[in-house]
Amino acid sequence: MNKTFDKKRFLSQNSIWLVLIALIIVMGVAQPSFFTASNLLTLLSGEAVKGIMAFGVMFAILSKGIDLTIGASAGLVACITAALVQPSDYANAVLPGVGTLPAPVVFLIGLALGAGIGAIYGAIIAYTKIPAFIATLGGQLICRASAKIFTNRPVSNLSDSFRYPGNGRIAGIPVIIIVFFIMFAISAFLLTQTRFGKNVYAIGGNDQAARVAGINVEKNLILVYIWCSVCAAIAGMLLAGRAGSADPANSGLNYELDAIAAATVGGTSHTGGICRASGVLAGILILGVINNGLVMLKVDDNMTNIVKGLIIVGSVVLDMRKNARKA
Amino acid sequence: MRKILAMLLAAGMLCGTLAGCGSGDGGDNGGSSADTSGGGADSSGGSGSGTSITLIMSQRDEFLSELESAAIGAANDLGVQLTTQDANSDTSKMLQYIETAKNAGEKAIIINMVDPETAAQCVESAGDMKVVFVNRYPSDPSVLNENAVYVGSDEMTSGKFQGEFLSEYFKSQGKTEISYILLNGIIGQTSTTNRTLSVMKALEDGGITATEASAPLACDYDRATAMDMISPLVDTVSYDCIISNNDAMALGAIEAMKSKGIDPTAIPIVGIDASTDGRESIKNGELMMSVYQNPFGQGEGALRAALNLIDGKPINDGTSYETDETGNIVWIPFEPVTIDNVADYD
Repeated sequence: MNKTFDKKRFLSQNSIWLVLIALIIVMGVAQPSFFTASNLLTLLSGEAVKGIMAFGVMFAILSKGIDLTIGASAGLVACITAALVQPSDYANAVLPGVGTLPAPVVFLIGLALGAGIGAIYGAIIAYTKIPAFIATLGGQLICRASAKIFTNRPVSNLSDSFRYPGNGRIAGIPVIIIVFFIMFAISAFLLTQTRFGKNVYAIGGNDQAARVAGINVEKNLILVYIWCSVCAAIAGMLLAGRAGSADPANSGLNYELDAIAAATVGGTSHTGGICRASGVLAGILILGVINNGLVMLKVDDNMTNIVKGLIIVGSVVLDMRKNARKA
Repeated sequence: MRKILAMLLAAGMLCGTLAGCGSGDGGDNGGSSADTSGGGADSSGGSGSGTSITLIMSQRDEFLSELESAAIGAANDLGVQLTTQDANSDTSKMLQYIETAKNAGEKAIIINMVDPETAAQCVESAGDMKVVFVNRYPSDPSVLNENAVYVGSDEMTSGKFQGEFLSEYFKSQGKTEISYILLNGIIGQTSTTNRTLSVMKALEDGGITATEASAPLACDYDRATAMDMISPLVDTVSYDCIISNNDAMALGAIEAMKSKGIDPTAIPIVGIDASTDGRESIKNGELMMSVYQNPFGQGEGALRAALNLIDGKPINDGTSYETDETGNIVWIPFEPVTIDNVADYD
């Protein structure tokens, strides 16, 4: 009896993976070249940037918040870091005096920038208690405008070592995919194996109860948004590396919505307290399979977006029903 | 258990929908072409009959949509299965579409780049596919060769037509010193830079000393933005003409003047594109001239170039357009449009 229950539970918790497998089979049957190794690598490297953002924003959603800044902060970090790795003799250099800094230094600068940006709006959310939606909407506008103030043209001609995580390959595997899975592992570890992760679950479930239980809600919320923003910074630097150019107006534009969609499809509940890293990974892959597969099937992109819209709404309807029954 | 069944059922329905999309929109290679106009006829006979090509749009504004329609029309005529995808101004998405087309085994791809700085990355992502860049010229033209070509219009001639027209106009009035308001498109884009540079140079070459009546204005090729930016200026500074990087911004300026009771026909206002609205305004006498950028020539020329690359023919084969000396660029000419010839463009 006990065993049957476990199976049901397992199926229910991992139903999203079944959907993913079903989707993959359908795509593979409809278009055999979907299954080629190079296409699967294309699919993964295309979703990596948004996927890493999803690993960040799932913490915010878990804490009953949201982060709308990540797309714009990714763009801002992308522009600033890219400007630090342009050749010193390049006529169109944004910071002509600086020259090419070593890539590892620039990566650290990018991470620090991300952490700094997240700490600012995280603190605003934690201490003023204004809704995260509003704080991060403001953050989005400020970051996007800052990127455009920083440079009014795309930043290109970037050093190879800076571009390596975005467009390099190790034994035929794009490095960006490796980074993506490392970020998945770190997020899953943070979520399940650390006190921070457990605190975020508690805050999302019931912040008053969490406070009574002795959790420092403010500190943990700030950490949540620092993590979101660091993920965005990593995503932004990968984006610039992959394309070889950072565009102040368009880099990362609306990526926050795709990241939120992936986290949502992956079963992260917007009422807080429910999130599984593996579910979010599946959510990212589902949207990736749809993006990639429908293009291969030569479906018009408007139809692709309609299908994505249906999946996002449908998955939440199913999740809400599932979670309502549990409660 | 019911819950799981419901879930699986929903998943099944979803998959059914997707499969339906696939076969309906040309999932099998012999099927009709998936296009936005819904035509999809396989009227074979052209050199590229049965070939499958993807066109990636940076976005779908009015001009680019016309370019897209022209390419789709040409594809239908030639029996080519053309799929178009909109990158929504997202470079990463654009690269994703390129790689996906490569993985699907296509032989050529037409790219309207989001960011002209990424041309080298586009070529790299395309692998063995032939690449046709359309409308947006690579920032680094050294990527162009016998496998990667450009089809578009030389932006340095668009402003030249404006400048020549204005020089004639002012000289006939006996003026050699003028002041102007200039509405720039998106700062940093090659088209903006070259349109502005070339109009200034043509004025200078025409013997006109021109000074800017305001601070440089960047209105993002957008009508409403131009209207907002120019409104405070139209009745406070003195100017002899308004030069705009496109028609939409020129029309915004005309609106701003009219709303302040200023007669827009009193001074020359010149645009670029000869869009439908622009031509209407020329007929009304408000917009004095525009420069026609040929979306049909660019769309059809790009498709022809892609097929010619696959067949190993000169890229302008089958068209009336000329290539540059390298043979890797097809120039679709700009044409000046005034009240005298505007009827030809309807």
